[in-house]
Amino acid sequence: MKRAPYPLREDLSGKSYWRSLGELEGSAEFQESLPAEFPEGAAEPPTGVARRQFLTIMGASMALAGLTACRRPEEKIVPYARAPEEVIPGKPLYFATALAMHGTAIGLVVESHEGRPTKLEGNPKHPDSRGATTHFVQATMLDMYDPDRSESPRERGTPRPWEDVSSYLRTLGDKLKVKRGKGLAIITDEQRSPTLARVLGELKAAMPDAKIVRYEAFSRVNVRRGTQLAFGKTYETVLDVAKARVVVALDSDFLFNEGSPVKQARGFAEGRQPEQTKSAMSRLYVIESGHSVTGGNADNRLRLQSRKIGGFVFELARELGVAHKLDLGELLAALPPGELDPRAQKWVKAIAKDLAAHKGRGIVVAGDLQPAEVHAVVHLVNLALTNTGNTVRHVAAFDETPEGPAALMDVAKGVRDKSIDTLLILGGNPAYDAPADAKFAEALAEAATSIHVSTHVNETSAKAQWHLNRAHYLEGWSDVRAEDGSASIVQPLIAPLFGGRTDAEVIDLLLGGNRRGYDLVRGTWNKDSAPTFEKAWRRALHDGLWDGSTAPLEPVAARPADVAAALKLRKPSAGGLEVTFRADAHAYDGRFANNGWLQELPDSLAKMTWGNAAVLSQATAKALGVVDGEVLTITVDGAQAHVPALVMPGHADESISLTIGQGRTVVGRVGKGVGVDCTQLRHSAAFHSAGASVSKGAGKVALARTQEHYAMEGRGMVQEAELGEYLKEPEFVEKRKEKLPLFSLWEEQKYEGHKWGMAIDLNACIGCSACTIACQSENNIPIVGPENVINSREMHWIRVDRYFEGEGAEEARAVTQPTLCNHCEMAPCEQVCPVGATTHSPEGLNDMAYNRCVGTRYCANNCPFKVRRYNFLDYHGDLPEIGKMAMNPDVTVRFRGVMEKCSFCVQRINHAKIDAHRDGHERITDGAVVAACQQVCPTQAISFGDLNDGKSVVAKQASNPRAYKLLEELNIKPRVSYLARIRNPNPELVGA
Amino acid sequence: MSDLAMVQEDVPGKRVPLVLGKQDFHSVTESVAGIVEGPTPHKWKLLFVLALSILLILLGSLGRLVTKGIGVWGNNTTVGWAWDITGFVFWIGIGHAGTLISAILFLFRQKWRTSINRAAEAMTIFAVMSAGIYPLFHVGRVWFAYWLFPIPNQMGMWPNFKSPLFWDVCAVSTYATVSILFWYVGLVPDLATLRDRAKTKTRQIVYGIFALGWRGSHRHWLNYERAYGILAGLSAPLVLSVHTIVSFDFAVSIIPGWHTTIFPPYFVAGAIFSGFAMVMTLMIIARKAFGLERLITMRHLENMNKVIVATGTMVGYAYAVEFFIAWYSGNPYESFALMNRAFGPYKWAYWTMVSCNVIFPQLFWFKKVRTSIPAMFVISIIVNIGMWFERFVIIVTSLSRDFLPSSWAYFRPTIFDITTFFGTFGLFMTMFLLFLRFLPMVAIGEVKSVLPAADAHPHHDDDGHDAPGSEGMSKEPVHAA
Repeated sequence: MKRAPYPLREDLSGKSYWRSLGELEGSAEFQESLPAEFPEGAAEPPTGVARRQFLTIMGASMALAGLTACRRPEEKIVPYARAPEEVIPGKPLYFATALAMHGTAIGLVVESHEGRPTKLEGNPKHPDSRGATTHFVQATMLDMYDPDRSESPRERGTPRPWEDVSSYLRTLGDKLKVKRGKGLAIITDEQRSPTLARVLGELKAAMPDAKIVRYEAFSRVNVRRGTQLAFGKTYETVLDVAKARVVVALDSDFLFNEGSPVKQARGFAEGRQPEQTKSAMSRLYVIESGHSVTGGNADNRLRLQSRKIGGFVFELARELGVAHKLDLGELLAALPPGELDPRAQKWVKAIAKDLAAHKGRGIVVAGDLQPAEVHAVVHLVNLALTNTGNTVRHVAAFDETPEGPAALMDVAKGVRDKSIDTLLILGGNPAYDAPADAKFAEALAEAATSIHVSTHVNETSAKAQWHLNRAHYLEGWSDVRAEDGSASIVQPLIAPLFGGRTDAEVIDLLLGGNRRGYDLVRGTWNKDSAPTFEKAWRRALHDGLWDGSTAPLEPVAARPADVAAALKLRKPSAGGLEVTFRADAHAYDGRFANNGWLQELPDSLAKMTWGNAAVLSQATAKALGVVDGEVLTITVDGAQAHVPALVMPGHADESISLTIGQGRTVVGRVGKGVGVDCTQLRHSAAFHSAGASVSKGAGKVALARTQEHYAMEGRGMVQEAELGEYLKEPEFVEKRKEKLPLFSLWEEQKYEGHKWGMAIDLNACIGCSACTIACQSENNIPIVGPENVINSREMHWIRVDRYFEGEGAEEARAVTQPTLCNHCEMAPCEQVCPVGATTHSPEGLNDMAYNRCVGTRYCANNCPFKVRRYNFLDYHGDLPEIGKMAMNPDVTVRFRGVMEKCSFCVQRINHAKIDAHRDGHERITDGAVVAACQQVCPTQAISFGDLNDGKSVVAKQASNPRAYKLLEELNIKPRVSYLARIRNPNPELVGA
Repeated sequence: MSDLAMVQEDVPGKRVPLVLGKQDFHSVTESVAGIVEGPTPHKWKLLFVLALSILLILLGSLGRLVTKGIGVWGNNTTVGWAWDITGFVFWIGIGHAGTLISAILFLFRQKWRTSINRAAEAMTIFAVMSAGIYPLFHVGRVWFAYWLFPIPNQMGMWPNFKSPLFWDVCAVSTYATVSILFWYVGLVPDLATLRDRAKTKTRQIVYGIFALGWRGSHRHWLNYERAYGILAGLSAPLVLSVHTIVSFDFAVSIIPGWHTTIFPPYFVAGAIFSGFAMVMTLMIIARKAFGLERLITMRHLENMNKVIVATGTMVGYAYAVEFFIAWYSGNPYESFALMNRAFGPYKWAYWTMVSCNVIFPQLFWFKKVRTSIPAMFVISIIVNIGMWFERFVIIVTSLSRDFLPSSWAYFRPTIFDITTFFGTFGLFMTMFLLFLRFLPMVAIGEVKSVLPAADAHPHHDDDGHDAPGSEGMSKEPVHAA
């Protein structure tokens, strides 16, 4: 086992004041590690103590701040000589900003403590956020405090100051201007910044022959190309899921990471509140190969290989056109045969019938990974069903920049034939995530001049001549448009920790300017120097949304003939074993590979952490003779990857799901050696390739999974009913309960004041696990590393339990259940603690006095929910200064040997109490306390508040007939109510 | 050795003497005190070095534990207690036999106990010390472990009197205190003997201090007998109460497989069972090594074997009743926990336990086995293995799969789990070897009281206590020594 401490440690903790960190140089060892593209053990899950030591110094997951509670700080404390405006020590400030991700923008409100951002929340005013975020968004904050971030520009690995970069870029720009930009290619990531677009426009004006393309491994390019085919013009596609009665998701994970997931998930939940919708509750059909989060929420789910999804769409269109007389024009005759089995054909019929019965109130959505012609057919079907304009809206695309793998391959080809000699790559990591046939990494190495702008040194930076450290989005001024055009100003919360620059600033340097991001962004919005600008600008900064920027609905006209022509070019899908590629649940496209929170977040269904796996169905696993953890050698077109197998109920047969994003080679300490790189198997043609071959015999590894048990063992943790059953008998949960005589040994406590409680609507919970990350961020929860996850020591205070149920393992339905401390009124943990470290508050909180805890673990043993978390090791370890900055100062950082668990965000309750007291209220009003998990939840499944306040949302939820409590028969009186899940399956498909 | 072979017969009314051979007061003193006074045997030195090395393993493991955290063990969120509390209950259980032999058998005037009670009591104390390692070091912040004691402080912070763990602290510390006192009081006359026989000044002074000025006067003997009787009376209920309270750690919790009312008697029976097995293992070795076959006779060993088969059967009955109650209660969690024990991922541990504790001791129904030194040695070790597994099965299997299947986990020990447990044997052996070397391992004064010579008899030179067929002690009442 490797036990040597990682040498970077000293460099990172050297300075105590963040402003001075920028001058630090990366250690020699770290630079040496950059060219090491294929380190030992990269293909296996990491082992050994060395990894744990890496993790203990891993930035913002941990903290040392708690130690200051028992020791006087040695540093001199100097008060502000002149206090910054509005900063009151101990009072957080909140600023609106936005993040560009998922091909849209997520509006954010950032909590800032004395000038350092500590927590991201959704901006309630932003249409794509509505106050919530995804788990990825939550974790982006940790990226900013990542000690492995790039600290300075580098030329061929040698750190250089920005002054050198400026003069270099200006010289380069001058040369390029002379050549009218010939030979220059700029690759942006999936950016939607009007300012960057404007600056690139200026560049295009100065250098008309420069090539600008957009590439990101997982983007909505196929959806947009589909609109180009179907309507002759590129549009964005915006879904209004709330209005839909019937949603058909075809290999689409629209609830989790496709389109605008927060908005879509919220809409989905709104269309399924059985109390409001009654029998008009929406129905979700999911047809997919892998088991996605969306699939877990399906009312009817069909396992189908990704390569057959196209056929399913064509058959669906044909059925609608033939049996339901939908006007699809020339398309109908041109639809290729779907080659479906009779079972899938039955599904086509049932779904078509349902869609035709709900014209204008349905959505057909295909996955981003499906090819453009499939999307084109889907767009035409939606239009013919009059869904377009109602539930599906098309607005103008952000711009017409060439994009996608084709554009990237074009650039790579240009480099090879010497028509391009200068590559400027803004963000992204194409050297890692480009399709194998693009051979982009080789092209990058061939280019005479190559510049990569990035927050982290990655594979692309390592290959490029220049690496320029980019400002994190919380550090630099920018702006972003959401998919529906709504614009937000990205305002920084902190000065760049390592002096990074934004993309627009870099382009401006190339153009010979030296404008700062702030001026560039203001310049974009202050086009005509209107006198009202200042007011509008301030309002946009304050609200996080530029008023009136939402794009108007575009009228679209079908061009079925074009689609028909495109379908003629489509090759019939090949047979054999298929391999599909999706964005990794932890690392996304690889950008979060060094993010400890995300690496340790169990994915929704496999509950795997720290790495990726080849997911396959039980039948396929049986046919191949493999079990969980067995390393498979997967060969596609001669390229190989060694991936551990993971058998998953509900996965399509003859299909293997792989992810792109893990197995990064030029990455920080957290991501090093985690997971397997599958990029070499992927080709630009599609996100699935048929005809893969698989062999085993490369050994077996332990997968770091937090829950391997699938069954509920008949214990009824998750209560479910079908819609019909619910409408007939809304009190079905009560009826199912076994009535036991329960009495208490003690006189029970009365709760006169507040009585805090929570309700979790399992019908709304989609299992996305954003709550887990939000809680981790709010409550300074450490990560523990893969070995400790394998040994069931993960620290998450709120976890999302997943069970499968139903007939047969293959057709099992997934259910998810967030589980946290239930704050039992008769708490078994409190009774057994020998030192009284866990006690009950007068408001019913199960409090934990960390300082009193001696760590007998008796409470955790006696907890029936097993939600108590123990600091088995010093997970907070030696923390670099930058890591401490991510900590929430309102929450104690726990030390080794003490127990911790959900506190119902007691720090937020106390803030609310202080505010209520200040404002002269006797009680905290409902909604004033929002728990972190509740706030982030995209579907608002969690409600929290005072159960004694009859008007509170939580009290209403708790008295809902669907409400029940877990393990009530133990007489522990939990304070968390769960609301039973209601499914709305199509009766025609029962048993189909 | 005709007199040793003779002990094979155990017919009431025709019992052989408790002490064999031509023993008189002097020879008993010589044979016991001689061990302490003689030169240090090489074998002892070798064993002591071995024991010390194992003790060092314990210290190293605990050092690692304290500096790194509980995470060096294999315990996890689901299985919060594993080898630590298993080791604790294992050692505490072993201690019980000592107290039973010395206190309860004393109160019942079972004279056969006299030659083994000293060593058994020493074993109790050292076993409690080994056990004490675990509750102390299994806490995450050992430097605050004193918070478990009700120590008055300026913050007014008290332990939680509702917690079984606190009762446990009280029970075990009481047990340790009473056991040490009882043992020490019994030692006083013998320490005085050693003092009086001392040939060096140091020995004289050291034994002299601990002999508390014992002169062997009648008043001393009178006070001694009273004190001994009172302490025996105090110790006797502790045999039952300590393991009852240890079992409360589990029985009072709500975890299926722990929350059962049968635990107190079941644990006490198990403790005596394992304790006797341990006494047996140690006595067989000590008896052979120090040539004490005439003091610790086959009759002693056989009696202990009878206790082992009786308590082993009780333990087996408890296993059966647990299953019956799990079924009879209709509690699905309880039935699952029991089925999981026998047929779940830990079935190997369960069936090891059943075969070691229930099946093997049944061989003691056969007199041949009961009186065969190799057989009883092997079975005593098997019983100790089985009893370790019993605690492991109860603690780990119940925790590993409780209410919510989402949290189920499997416990795997690390090297530090193993070295810590192994190391406690080092502590135990070191203490025991020191005891053998520096203290009289047989209660000289008490053994003398069961000698025929202690019996005032008119025909002193012809009482035939040496001859076969003698009725020995059973014939006439023993007068106070």
